[in-house]
Amino acid sequence: MNTANIIMLASASLPGSAPHFAGAAQATRAVARTVAQSATQTAVHTSSGTSYPIDIWGLLIALAMVMVASGLSWLMHLGIGKTLLWSACRALVQLCAMGFIMGYVITSGNPWLVLVLICVMLVAAVQITLSRAKGVPKGLAGPVLLTLVITMLLMISMVTELVVRPRPWYAPQLVVPLTGMLLGNTVSALAVGLSRFYESMKERRDEVDTLLALGATRWEAARPSVISSIRLGLLPTTASLASSGIVTIPGMMAGQVIAGGDPLNAAKYQFVILASIAALTLLADTLIMVMVYRTCFTPDDQYRETPIVEHKKK
Amino acid sequence: MSTYLFSARDMTCTVPSQDGERTIFQGLSFDIDAGEIVDLVGPSGAGKSSLLTAFARLNPHADGTMFLDGRPATEFSPQQWRRRVAYLPQKPVLIGENVAQVIRLPWTLAIRNDDDAEQDANRLSDRRLQAHGKRRRSGIWGTTHNGVDMLPDAKIRATLDAMGCDDIDLARAPHDLSGGQAARVSLARTLLTDPSLLLADEVDAGLDDANAAKVAAILSNAAARGMAVIRIRHRPPDGVATRTVTLDEGGLR
Repeated sequence: MNTANIIMLASASLPGSAPHFAGAAQATRAVARTVAQSATQTAVHTSSGTSYPIDIWGLLIALAMVMVASGLSWLMHLGIGKTLLWSACRALVQLCAMGFIMGYVITSGNPWLVLVLICVMLVAAVQITLSRAKGVPKGLAGPVLLTLVITMLLMISMVTELVVRPRPWYAPQLVVPLTGMLLGNTVSALAVGLSRFYESMKERRDEVDTLLALGATRWEAARPSVISSIRLGLLPTTASLASSGIVTIPGMMAGQVIAGGDPLNAAKYQFVILASIAALTLLADTLIMVMVYRTCFTPDDQYRETPIVEHKKK
Repeated sequence: MSTYLFSARDMTCTVPSQDGERTIFQGLSFDIDAGEIVDLVGPSGAGKSSLLTAFARLNPHADGTMFLDGRPATEFSPQQWRRRVAYLPQKPVLIGENVAQVIRLPWTLAIRNDDDAEQDANRLSDRRLQAHGKRRRSGIWGTTHNGVDMLPDAKIRATLDAMGCDDIDLARAPHDLSGGQAARVSLARTLLTDPSLLLADEVDAGLDDANAAKVAAILSNAAARGMAVIRIRHRPPDGVATRTVTLDEGGLR
């Protein structure tokens, strides 16, 4: 389910409750326009907007494509077919489940349900970050969770409450997808950044020892690794910023356009999202580095071969 | 506590191994005075390098009580300590685009730029910091100084020439240097920071006789100016050392 569909769904379920919600208002206007100009009769007109719903056959066709690709990989002994098929099935189930849950949360309009949903997403994000990051010490769940919570709160307060200003302020059709998009980006940035940092600290062992011997603080000794890991973690984000609009039409904008929204408005939305995600991804990577670089050093600023997360003793 | 420049008492080093822990050395004591050159010899694996890194407070597996000018090590921050007790690793790690940058690296660090970082009244480069006058900020956001004002090219050149390193061009990239040149650049970088005690870990290993003699001459010059030097060596005695101690089976002789 894409964002625009959710927005449309929301405007249907909460009629007149979101006058500030530009996306929904735009979508409703788009309906009128499409009805008037409708050149293609294939469009299905529903009460909430012009959309092209996907039936069960659509899902099966998509799944069949994955199966064919997996079959090819099996024939070519690539060894990735099984993973691909399994991931696709998993994604289908997860997405449909999320669709059902979001639909329920949106119709209920209960802020506590929104909170619960976001908490579940956060916990899952921490788990995915840690399982994807290779070669990191145990006990990083705390710093990762803290980083995700800080960036998520900033996302909600800046983008939702300052830019879009929905009513009610916790509008689930806005808060939940935004959180999801942010988490998706920060999770991969954190996983890449953390893996790179610990790998780099291992590679730079002689350099770190030399720097420490010359009187560097642990931060000065770790800084080159921190910088390279933040750069690597941010690479996809900067790439997507640069290519958006020319090479790619990002998911959120595509969703709004497919659902019949005004493309210019969709572009504005997409920019706000891309810009804030870029800023917050950088912030997330910086925060996590500031919190974890110490694990590679002893309290006496000595290089530690196996990084340990130390808990402060009382 | 003592009149020595540097004293170490009860030095112990235990490293984790497959069957629990392995003691490298235990209860070692050592003293050195300004201007002395002490050769540390012993079979490989005896823990000579571990002892030197322990002296520089760089060894996480070592423990002991140390004094510098009679002041206990606990009064110094690790950076303050390492500024005066400098460990020079066997493998030269030259960080920077060219030789000038490599040699200037220590001067870009907070310990040599922050007035707050150093409260040691006896420090030798006090005048240099005061001459610069301006208080600089550094910390978690990293240092921005490039060290050029504290260590101009001319001074690096003069020092290198005085060390017999007139064959090393400041604009050369570190990876273009020969092994002997790299070892001497690494030595020059540490010597220019003017430590009180230099811990030289096999700096002449792998060098030809001419280069080894140059390194020995550089060290004896530094000692003549009041620096204490401990050398780990595998070469035959070169007559530079004031005494030789042997580390074997966990004891110093």
